[in-house]
Amino acid sequence: MISRRQSIQTIAAGIGAIVGSSILPGVSNAAGASSGGPKRVIFFLQNQGFDPATCIPATMTSSGSLAKAKLPEPIKALEPFKERLHIINGLHGRHTSPSHSAFFGALGGYRGSDGVPPSAATIDYELSHVLPKTLLPHLCIGMDSMENMTAKPTVANLSASGAGQPIFMHSNPNHLYEMLYGGISKGDIRQQHEARSKLFDRIEQLASAKGAALPSATKQRYGQFVQGFQDINGLRERLSGVSDHLQKFAPEVDDRYTNPEFETDWHDVLLDLGVSALKSGITSVLTVGSGRGEIFGAWKGLGVEQQGHNLGHMKQPDNPIWVKIRQYNSRMLVKLMEELESVPEGSGTMMDNTLIVYTSNNADSQHTNGKTWPVMLLGNCNGAFKTGCFTQLDGTRPINALYTSILQASGVNCDRFNMGEKLAKKFDSGNGPLREVLV
Amino acid sequence: MNRFFFISAAIGISLLSQTVLAGETYIPGETIRQSFDEFAKGFLENHCFDCHDNESTKGSLSLEDLGPVDETNAAIWKSVWAQLALQEMPPKKKSQPDIVERLRMSDWIVGELQRAMSDKGGFHAHRDPQKANFLNHDLLFGALPPGIRLIPTSSPARLWRLTPQEHITRLNELINTEAPYNPEKPGLRTHGDAVPTNHGGELKLYFGTDRIIRWEGGTVAYATAVKSVPAVLSTARKHGLENYPAFYSVNSAEATQILGKAEDLIKYMAYGPLSLAKPEQITDDPKSYDRVKPKGDIRGLPTAIVYNTKTVRPMTPIQRLMAVPEVSDDLLQASVAHLFEALTFRPPSLQEADDYLRMVKDSIAKIGKEDGAIMGLSAIFLDRDALFRPELVESGEADEHGRLMLQDWELGLAVNHALRYIKPDAALRQAILDGRMRTRKDVRREVTRMLNDESIRKPRILRFFRDYFDHDLAGYICKDTNALAETGASARGAAHYRAMFDSVASTDRLIELVLEKDTNVLRELLTTQQVVATKTDNVYFGRRHTSEEEKVARIAKREADKALAEKETADLEALEAELAELTAVLKQDPEDSKTERSLDRKKKQFSAAEKRIKRAKTRRQREGNTKVAVADLQGSKIFARVSRRSFGNGSMKPDRVLALAPEGQRMGILTHPAWLVSHSDAMDNHAIHRGRWIRERLLGGGIPDVPITVDAMLPDESETPLRERMRVTREEYCWTCHEKMDPLGLPFEMFNHAGLFRTTEWGKPVDTTGAITDSGDPALDGPVENALDLIGRLANSVRVEQVFVRHAFRFWMGRNETLNDAPVLQAAHQAYREGGGSMKALITSLLSSDAFLYRRTED
Repeated sequence: MISRRQSIQTIAAGIGAIVGSSILPGVSNAAGASSGGPKRVIFFLQNQGFDPATCIPATMTSSGSLAKAKLPEPIKALEPFKERLHIINGLHGRHTSPSHSAFFGALGGYRGSDGVPPSAATIDYELSHVLPKTLLPHLCIGMDSMENMTAKPTVANLSASGAGQPIFMHSNPNHLYEMLYGGISKGDIRQQHEARSKLFDRIEQLASAKGAALPSATKQRYGQFVQGFQDINGLRERLSGVSDHLQKFAPEVDDRYTNPEFETDWHDVLLDLGVSALKSGITSVLTVGSGRGEIFGAWKGLGVEQQGHNLGHMKQPDNPIWVKIRQYNSRMLVKLMEELESVPEGSGTMMDNTLIVYTSNNADSQHTNGKTWPVMLLGNCNGAFKTGCFTQLDGTRPINALYTSILQASGVNCDRFNMGEKLAKKFDSGNGPLREVLV
Repeated sequence: MNRFFFISAAIGISLLSQTVLAGETYIPGETIRQSFDEFAKGFLENHCFDCHDNESTKGSLSLEDLGPVDETNAAIWKSVWAQLALQEMPPKKKSQPDIVERLRMSDWIVGELQRAMSDKGGFHAHRDPQKANFLNHDLLFGALPPGIRLIPTSSPARLWRLTPQEHITRLNELINTEAPYNPEKPGLRTHGDAVPTNHGGELKLYFGTDRIIRWEGGTVAYATAVKSVPAVLSTARKHGLENYPAFYSVNSAEATQILGKAEDLIKYMAYGPLSLAKPEQITDDPKSYDRVKPKGDIRGLPTAIVYNTKTVRPMTPIQRLMAVPEVSDDLLQASVAHLFEALTFRPPSLQEADDYLRMVKDSIAKIGKEDGAIMGLSAIFLDRDALFRPELVESGEADEHGRLMLQDWELGLAVNHALRYIKPDAALRQAILDGRMRTRKDVRREVTRMLNDESIRKPRILRFFRDYFDHDLAGYICKDTNALAETGASARGAAHYRAMFDSVASTDRLIELVLEKDTNVLRELLTTQQVVATKTDNVYFGRRHTSEEEKVARIAKREADKALAEKETADLEALEAELAELTAVLKQDPEDSKTERSLDRKKKQFSAAEKRIKRAKTRRQREGNTKVAVADLQGSKIFARVSRRSFGNGSMKPDRVLALAPEGQRMGILTHPAWLVSHSDAMDNHAIHRGRWIRERLLGGGIPDVPITVDAMLPDESETPLRERMRVTREEYCWTCHEKMDPLGLPFEMFNHAGLFRTTEWGKPVDTTGAITDSGDPALDGPVENALDLIGRLANSVRVEQVFVRHAFRFWMGRNETLNDAPVLQAAHQAYREGGGSMKALITSLLSSDAFLYRRTED
């Protein structure tokens, strides 16, 4: 019989190999760079809507190449990355009830609203199970006002692992840092990490002891509970086991963590942590909720004094406030790309195997019926996705079709995502992936 | 003479000799240790090959080469089991195996499927409540045929995981003080009731809402600013009994989230709103906060909330522990003991107390008192018994049948859990501590006491009725906006979904009222004319206009609106004229202060009239439903148990009236919007679900799983009655199953898919006919005119009553009944009848039965 510690060592060795392979040049991974398709996917959702006029070049009235177009002011930071950008307008989310946010429905492709629980797993979670295995397959981070991130450091509004099973996003970078890098940290964070590790070990021991004499049928089910702690502790140990490797990617903890001036300090370091999780190979799906899927949020660090719901009532095009917020998003997208580009993977870089999906949990605006849901895709994943272009769809295919496309590119053979045939008859004029998106 | 005759004859002789030779008595549940060749092969040849050999292949199925059960043919064997158990096969016109033979074959298949699938996720279908009716009803309630010997029943020793609602209600007790029971307003949610879902149907735990005296912004801003955490434990079931012990565990993601929540809860227990807000936000004078609050728009932020200074959360040792700077063993021990009992409902053993004390001390030693105490105490939230309720009978001696009786804390908590979500009350706790929870008599005493005390809230009973009726799904049925508008219900925003969550609370309350009388409970629920209603229910209990009526109503409304608008314009013009007159007078004599005052008054009147008229215009546009002859539901004031304030002004309201439904249109819960919409889909009624519900929950019949080869879709034809679109289910291949459901569901076509009564559909008289067929009680069988006719007939059936008792058994025992449970079911039914249809008598009988009291350590 193999002990947990032994098995962890074995797993850690295996994971080490995976982690190693993802960062070493010339070593390809399971998803197969040669066949295309992503090895990792990032979802970036800005709340309050994504007005198409803030991303579609003014000169473009129909689908075509972006080569000669000039990107609008809010996303001008992406100008040098145009060849890997695909702007899509005309998907719809009418079935998701997106006014004031579709919440889980944005990534689930089903009806959502404030107070409405998720009715199925969301696309980010599904992908985390499909993409090459990593230590922490799915990481969600949420950016909000300082007050909200402090008082409610974890909320669950966007991602779900199944019906009625929300996934929490992390908003306190100190907590997240401890979770990811507690094993290589110093000072208070290290102390917290060690105390928590010890606690989890003891909880596991107690749980295990209380399951020793159970009847066989119950034992199997209770075993899942005990196994859960073994998974948690295993993750902590596996992260410790690759600490030398993680050391290279862990961000420096500075004043922005402990003494932030603005909420954007925390936004920045949360993104740093997300980037580091991707670069170190411990995560394959990152979900970023800017505004945490709700209708509030603050960006005072950008000089935006207004905050909250009023931001959603403003027109976005040519609005200096929204230009600032979208430019900030764009800079974050650039950072994600540059950071991933800096890490070799296979015969290229990590970015070559990464897809970034930028959109809003509110479709095109705060008060919307979801008739159009603009999306920007970044990255072609070794030729799997079309890039360098703008596509205007006719508003008859749902966001679910985009998610189906990503699943297909990730090797999942499916025609629809979270949409039964009956609903599809009303809300989807087609079937299968978007041919406009996949090569 | 063909070869089948020889085979059949030979096998018939073989089987006969087998039965005779064995001379055995069939004991339900006993493992049948015979191989495929020794037993099953002969059965198949004798009873199945006439139609399902390689030559006949009826239904494209041959069983000739099926062979012993293995993972590749498990699906076919499962179908064979279903057909046999449900007595669908052999067909009625063919010779039938005797009952014992059929039961043995059914048991053999289940045993073999369990064996073959043991390392492939297991075989559990026979434990699924939806398959419980596979056990023949007449065997349970009729005389047993010879050759069957029952053994004294018991349930398996087990752990029972909490439901999300139980868990949230348990956590709620840590931080919120719910109002005590008020006999003057018995419907208001009170201490001991379950934490209900919120306005959107989400189950959440709210922090400090009982102290909020002001917030900024509208309802969404409130909902965002308030701290709340959603349920973490998952459930996968939508219809039917939601929580057998065998269903669920707790996974690592859930455990991690529980631990995260635990720290928030402990902080709130220690500091109250100070754990969420700044000191200046806690004041009885919100204006004092206005002077110091952050500048700018703070809607949706925690800083937008003002809490009063009255401490209302439960005061516990944890509050005292965190209020003092030093660490004392006494306070640590008291905190561990308090939290352990609050989460597991029993005091910790010495070992448990010591374990957790050590964990808290270790954490404090590592990271200091405040963080360490919070972190260390949070471990208790993940104790096995904080998430699972044990029924393990680890002590005591087995009786002559190998059964052990639950006792002390396990028995006390089992009784408590049968009725309640919160910890045992003082009397039950004391009884456990005094050793007075060890006998059947002890159980009867406590159950009777609790059932007779209204102030002891018993949400588990209501949960049973939700699981049984499935009326609580109404708010989760996503409706197509156009299809919804066509019904006559409001399709604006979330109005319909809100109405449905209200409607579920109303139906719950009606169930409680029937339970209070405790007479002919099931019949009352099925036939009552009473409805608990909100104002909106005047629409939902209304009658959908015919197209002619709608046209007339539209014209009438237009004219009435026009008349009102003309009157308003005239009033406004008159005011305008008066204004002009006064202005002219004042112009002539600017010093006339009396006229000036009059002019000011008139200006204000004019401005108010303008606003009033604008509001009236908007209201007229929204109101005046021309599609519906709205009901006039009047009656005494009553309350429904709705969530605490969760959405600012948009929270659900408890106010209701107890009224009578419009005559001749409704009969009991199955005709209420909550049930009807729960059994509908986005576009239309769901006659199949409704029929299935009647077949399973009232008639005790079973429906095999839909074969994977079936494309279970009705044609999508606009403006076509559902009955017509359901023609596809009448094709031979489908009808075998659908004949059990469709004729029972189609009578409900007298209501549209929002639950409004209707006489026409797409301009033609609606066809509401149906039939009860093959019910098991010939007196019930025959055509029905509509749902009221159907329900009226079923409500008086003894068989229906027995099926209800079977469902109650499943809910309270947490498992499907077996033949060995027949005496328990019969006694429970007898108690129900002798009590005049008393739910209390039924529950008392079940909870004092062997099935509830005894456990077997291996199943």
